[in-house]
Amino acid sequence: MEHEEMSLFPGLTRRDFLKSCGVLAGAIGLSGPMAVPRVANALEQLAKRPAIVWSCFQECLGCSVNLLQSRKPNPANLILKQISLDYHEAVMAPAGSQAKKSFHDIVDSKDFYYIVEGGIATAIPDACTIGGMTSMEMCKDAYQKSKATIAIGTCACYGGIQAAAPNPTGSKGVSDFLKSEGITPDKLINSPRCPGNADDTVAILLYALVKKQLPELDSQGRPKFLFGQLVHDNCERRGHFDAGEFVEVFGDAGSEKGWCLYKVGCKGPVAYAPCPVTRWNGDISWPVMAGGPCIGCSEPDFWDTQSPFYEKAPGVKLPGDITPTQLGVGLGAITAVGIGAHFIGQAATGRLFKGAPVEGMEDEGSDEGGKR
Amino acid sequence: MTKVVIDPITRIEGHLRITCEVENGVVKDAWNTATMFRGFEIFMKGRDPQGIWQFAQRICGVCPTPHAFNSVRAVETALGMEKVSDSARLVRNMMEAAQLGYDHILWFYHLNGFDYVNVPNTLNAKASTPGLKAVQDQVKAVVDSGQLGPFANMYWDHPGYKLPAELDLEVTAHYLQALDIQQKACDASAMLGGRYPMINNYVPGGVTQMPSIEDIEFYVSQMSVVKDFIDTVMLPDLLAIAPYYLDLAGYGKGVGNFLSWGVLDEKSQDPYDRLFPRGGIFDGKLELQKVSLDEPRQYTKYSWFGDGVGAGKHPLNVGQEPIDFTKMPPIEGEAFPQGKYDWTQAVRYGKEDRPMEVGPLAQVLISYLAGRPEAKKLVDDTLAAVGHAGDPTVLLSNLGRVAARVIKAKINSDNALRWADELLANIGKGETTVYQELDFSQTGTGQSGWDAPRGALAHYTKLSDNKVDTYAAVPPSNWNLSPRDDKGVRGPVEEALVGTPVLDPEKPLEILRTVHTFDP
Repeated sequence: MEHEEMSLFPGLTRRDFLKSCGVLAGAIGLSGPMAVPRVANALEQLAKRPAIVWSCFQECLGCSVNLLQSRKPNPANLILKQISLDYHEAVMAPAGSQAKKSFHDIVDSKDFYYIVEGGIATAIPDACTIGGMTSMEMCKDAYQKSKATIAIGTCACYGGIQAAAPNPTGSKGVSDFLKSEGITPDKLINSPRCPGNADDTVAILLYALVKKQLPELDSQGRPKFLFGQLVHDNCERRGHFDAGEFVEVFGDAGSEKGWCLYKVGCKGPVAYAPCPVTRWNGDISWPVMAGGPCIGCSEPDFWDTQSPFYEKAPGVKLPGDITPTQLGVGLGAITAVGIGAHFIGQAATGRLFKGAPVEGMEDEGSDEGGKR
Repeated sequence: MTKVVIDPITRIEGHLRITCEVENGVVKDAWNTATMFRGFEIFMKGRDPQGIWQFAQRICGVCPTPHAFNSVRAVETALGMEKVSDSARLVRNMMEAAQLGYDHILWFYHLNGFDYVNVPNTLNAKASTPGLKAVQDQVKAVVDSGQLGPFANMYWDHPGYKLPAELDLEVTAHYLQALDIQQKACDASAMLGGRYPMINNYVPGGVTQMPSIEDIEFYVSQMSVVKDFIDTVMLPDLLAIAPYYLDLAGYGKGVGNFLSWGVLDEKSQDPYDRLFPRGGIFDGKLELQKVSLDEPRQYTKYSWFGDGVGAGKHPLNVGQEPIDFTKMPPIEGEAFPQGKYDWTQAVRYGKEDRPMEVGPLAQVLISYLAGRPEAKKLVDDTLAAVGHAGDPTVLLSNLGRVAARVIKAKINSDNALRWADELLANIGKGETTVYQELDFSQTGTGQSGWDAPRGALAHYTKLSDNKVDTYAAVPPSNWNLSPRDDKGVRGPVEEALVGTPVLDPEKPLEILRTVHTFDP
């Protein structure tokens, strides 16, 4: 009777609480002896659970489904104890005018964080409406009144799949949409990947809550502490790349040995994401572990720029042609290979979210996004 | 006559507005409006056939796996590949079973549960165990905080909530427990597929790699927990709740036509031999008929596509370009609707142009009529438990849709473990081939039907010169949420809404119940 033994809401002991604070500190790049007390204080001082308004625009709900795969904390604790999920169309109980009331009550209070899933239909505004409001109207209103906004998943960041050429509805990411409305997106964080990753979402929220500031972002609006390094740099198949050992056809001998997937299309050498470090669904796997090539889903317009998905990424030199550290000059002429590598270096040693050791770390210098 | 508009319909995947005319406390007429359009068929044109399934699985992030299956299978059939290897079949089945396990649990507790379970009423319960007391304290803490979060603004004072407080508390506890259980099923899928949602181990020709024995053992351990939960919590919850809501058997009957393409292949890979077999039921007569993937026809008179676009055409021949001007009708204002009102095209079956209901009720009824012993026993037991022994016609109702969802979840989770065993046996026999290389330069037309959790899902594609020439998907929502067709015949959800009682038009709980039973 395993289900009866599972505790639903274990009263967190002080020890467990501090332990989870240590994990959270690691997740958002805090280290040093003060990291745990600082996170603990910040969480304890939250008199109110932070209100979240989550909009679903042109999407498939995959980002929300992945939110349900959150582990630290698990979804029940996240929703009931740590945040107040005041508006989310797929989760909330009320419908119709009552749902709209929830939206307006919270948005007009201006005391909330805004999360956007999905693209904004700009060429045919009525291709996405909710409660009679277009995605353009709803997004603009909520963004302007929010304390900060997180675009979750590649659709909300860059328009995503429906923006794939020829983009029939004129879908845009939140950033481009706001710019087209004359608004500077200065309180917006992009958290791409397809789907958006639950642990990224939680880490970014905690970063904003605990540090009272937004994380340092790269040129694509992504937090450097998560998206600072190429998938390729941390891939467990990287050694096979360097040794020139490649899967040529799925199911061949190399495939059985877990060799590098570059020749069957892997975009790991040109995509910035922490997939091999944090993995997915807790930490049990990630796309390349399943034997399929990375499709580069963290990159802007990847449906057009990273496809065909099963053909080699252009511009990547193989070992022997060039040294491995110079790799990554691929599509979009991404040159910032080293950006944030130290962050993920920190993550890689402790596996972001998996309980990076906090005690005994050097100092608080790594508090700041890009420094160590 | 009172006009009731519910927009958004929450707790669904997909943007939806429901408009009803209510007279004397009953819905007289209804319209459903899908309020989002993305244009998949347009931007899938000209893409690489080998990777087109990566696009297709993004049609739905709640059910990417059946879209992935149908997409790779449609490409495979277009290139003349009749079957995949037996081990590839088993890996695909295991992926599908995991996805169905998580989906049905999520639907029952998290997306449908609030229609029947009154969360604030849990505070009135006498908690019989420390675990239940802890849940009650948690709900109390949320209520006392004044931040009700997703529970705010619901019609909790509606007299349609009928459970005793103790049962409300118990099912609320299971709602929270189920959040963890759904993760087990998703993890089982992610272990083989790299992540969930958006798997990465499918490819036309099979799957990318053979799972290791450790991966399979992990899958078994996760799905065993899922199976245990369905057997000992979800099924008993259904039987505990149903007697309080027997009125659900009295409305939501719908169109009486049911369709399933079938899902979960047995060794033959014959769609009529699937765990949930292919089949159709017509005109409310509980007799099993064969069905054809060539028969769906689409109409656009009431959709935001050109009138000539549909006109009874096969999905591959239907235009998907929206008309230039589209404007959502206002919620308040003039009589609705006068003309086009939906982003969904009306899909009808065969030369009789029948609207078809799809989903777990269709799948369970078809399994029952096909004489599958598991379906037969579970349906008969459920009918007896709700006082309608021997009368499966009572399932043609909202009650039937809720019950069928749980029955299907149980059959699915029982068999997930069987397929894992078969895959281990194949490894033992050295049958480890999971991929066959295909020649994508061929020209051909392919199709595949394989049900999503929400119901019948078909993909069609025409390939030429290493490119996708044409692609069409007919998801379950296109059936259930069809608008009126060119003859003015209502879609299944619209039809099921007619006759739904509405105690209070300001709090249309019963309308939500009917719509949610379709899992739109």
